[in-house]
Amino acid sequence: MLSGARVSIFLASRAILRGGKVGTFLNILIIAMVFTNMILLSAIIGGAVNLFHDQTIDYVTSDIVIRPERDERTLFHVDELLDRVNRVPGVARASARYSTGATLSHKGSMVSIPITAFNPRDEVEVTKIHEHIIEGDFLSPADDGILLGQFVAGFEDSGMDFFESLGGVRVGDSVEVMFANGVGKTYRVKGIFSTKSYQADYMAFISWEEMDAVLGARNTDATEVLIRAQSGEDLDLVKLRLLRFGVQERVETWEEAMTQVIADSMETFSIIDRISLAVSLIIAIVVIGIVFTIKTINQRRQIGIQKAIGISNRIIIGSYVAQVLFIWLFGSLSGMVVVNLLLFYFTANPLEFPDGDVVPVFEMATMLENAAWLAAASALAGFLPAWRITRENTLDAMRG
Amino acid sequence: MIEVADLTKTYRMGDVLVHALNGVSVTIAEGEFIGITGASGSGKSTLLHMIGLLDLPTSGSVTISGEDVTSLSEYERTLFRLEWLGYVFQEYALMHDLTAFENVALPMMARGVPEDEIRDRVLHMLDQVGLRARADHLPKELSGGEQQRVAIARGLVNDPGILIADEPCANLDSENSKAVLDLFAEINRERGQTVLMVSHEEWHMPYFDRVIRLKDGKIVER
Repeated sequence: MLSGARVSIFLASRAILRGGKVGTFLNILIIAMVFTNMILLSAIIGGAVNLFHDQTIDYVTSDIVIRPERDERTLFHVDELLDRVNRVPGVARASARYSTGATLSHKGSMVSIPITAFNPRDEVEVTKIHEHIIEGDFLSPADDGILLGQFVAGFEDSGMDFFESLGGVRVGDSVEVMFANGVGKTYRVKGIFSTKSYQADYMAFISWEEMDAVLGARNTDATEVLIRAQSGEDLDLVKLRLLRFGVQERVETWEEAMTQVIADSMETFSIIDRISLAVSLIIAIVVIGIVFTIKTINQRRQIGIQKAIGISNRIIIGSYVAQVLFIWLFGSLSGMVVVNLLLFYFTANPLEFPDGDVVPVFEMATMLENAAWLAAASALAGFLPAWRITRENTLDAMRG
Repeated sequence: MIEVADLTKTYRMGDVLVHALNGVSVTIAEGEFIGITGASGSGKSTLLHMIGLLDLPTSGSVTISGEDVTSLSEYERTLFRLEWLGYVFQEYALMHDLTAFENVALPMMARGVPEDEIRDRVLHMLDQVGLRARADHLPKELSGGEQQRVAIARGLVNDPGILIADEPCANLDSENSKAVLDLFAEINRERGQTVLMVSHEEWHMPYFDRVIRLKDGKIVER
């Protein structure tokens, strides 16, 4: 068995060393490009997934979110809850949010969305919305203005809007807001933010004190409490500690809290990634298969001679598989070089998508996994044509 | 000892059946230098291919040293060829990508012989055919006669019981042909190796211990 493998490798090495260099180079190039293709789409999808995750954490849920039990609409006694949560080891800060339905209107444009109140001092510690003010300012404590996401503010050219908007309100403009409890107020737009997260940018915020005024009493309820964990903390452990500290409500890490829509999107991305991988492998099998079919047909007589002098089919097939694995090895290594060059480029120049800048994620484990798949595909593509020719009658093969 | 019994081989060429061998029976003793001759299409190469296990008969049997080789599996036939038979073909049949040394070494490598032993044996064989100095040359860098001598060295390197030579001089000039025939005669004489050689050149006949002449797939002289 081992001596057979030795002869296969010997024959393969001589075929590569003394065979057509251009053909070998082109085959290596094909593998390198297929490998790059397999990794690149997966890396872009990985980058988009990371972007989704980051946006969810930075603008929507923070690290951990407490929400009312499913049969409740709000969390009660939120001051006590915040005190308790902020004492839990591993918690950096908690911020309460209270949302209520409202209709915003401006010069005939109307949008119905929830308006969310928060304490700006807490909020800047748990989310990063304040870092993405594109016009005006973030809310200050007891602010009487309104902070709008860019998709709410909209554009004067409605063709640029993704959703129903206020038609391009600017900082300083007045927006009429009719709350679900029937209270109507006019707010001056304090600031407009753009995080590129669809979820965040279709939100509007007011200060907690302003919500008190809308509700007509000091509000002690919250619809959710966002929690930022200290850097490096295991979120599952922090969640466990929260529960141990007597937090009775629904405590979820950002992953658990991710909306079903986003979870479905992730699954869709994963399916696309798998389809792309399968297509790339089929392309690799077909291309290498064609190249090696031509090669074995051209070398039919040589294969016949080998059979005639007593070289077993196993050794002959092994030599072709070894050749294709050599091509795979150098193709995959070249592909890894290309992929790493792309990584450097895209780290400096992220891909711009409507929902954010995507930096492709190249993971060594993914590269090795894809390289292994490609090895199997290449081996199959080398095996089949050689197997077919070796099954021929020895004399027929020798006649070429 | 080779025993061929009532061997037939029928090919189909389109709708026509061609009887290449038509009940051939012959016995060849160990150490004989046999010439197989006949006109083109007489079945001489077909007979050699049957004895050399390169093709299977339609009926009949070939027994080599008591083993009915026609009943062996494909893999067993390959092993049998490697262990028992050496081949020299009309078109030299060398591997293009291998040097003279590597071409000769290949059957030994396939048998799993240690490298040192291969090296000594191959150099000895190349020495015997007068090509030691050309050991590192590729077939394309060798003349036809030199290529055929490399093929002979390869055919003999495993010290086979039987050397099968299918018109080995067909592509050689008379000087190289004589060198090849002299080499075969020497091998046969000194090693006692059985040599079966197909030839239709009358001047080759004196080299053979015995001539088997075929006509229309039948032996007409033995």
